Amino acid sequence: MRLAMLLTDLSAVTAPVLAQQPGATESQALATGTVAPDFTLPGATRYGVLAQPIHLSDFKGQTVVLAFFHKAHSKL
Amino acid sequence: MHAYRDQYATLFKDGQTVVLIAISADPLDTLAAWARDDQFQFLFASDTGGVVGKLYGPSASTDRVDHRNVFVVAADGKIAYRQTPFREIDPAAYTELAAVLDKVLGR
Repeated sequence: MRLAMLLTDLSAVTAPVLAQQPGATESQALATGTVAPDFTLPGATRYGVLAQPIHLSDFKGQTVVLAFFHKAHSKL
Repeated sequence: MHAYRDQYATLFKDGQTVVLIAISADPLDTLAAWARDDQFQFLFASDTGGVVGKLYGPSASTDRVDHRNVFVVAADGKIAYRQTPFREIDPAAYTELAAVLDKVLGR
């Protein structure tokens, strides 16, 4: 009886942890000190769509802030 | 994004020393129209598949860049700072970002 209870308790503790593990690994953001992976994306400014895509490597030697955001037209 | 716009001069020195790239999964035309309408001074990048967003900091939901991660990439190409998620409505988040930029830029 006690063993059964202990096992039940253990599974309650371990199950959520195990369930979270794959997601947690995948959802980890790149760490400080990591080389920022280059990317190529179509770009725009307030003056219109850029003729050339944006490469992060275009800005080598400069400080770049990458701000990922949810959606255009959000007030935030 | 309006907070970035309104603090562009102080936070990003009007883009003269810091390049700000705002990235979302919106189509490029949507971003261009929004940038024009709301007069954002910085670059927008359209990550329609969310590929780059996932590369940098995947969110719990898989198919959208629906998080607000912020990364500072220093001149050496390395990530000098991250705030994940970025507390977009918290003024302290911008204070922290400004302090980091000051440090990275040595100013």
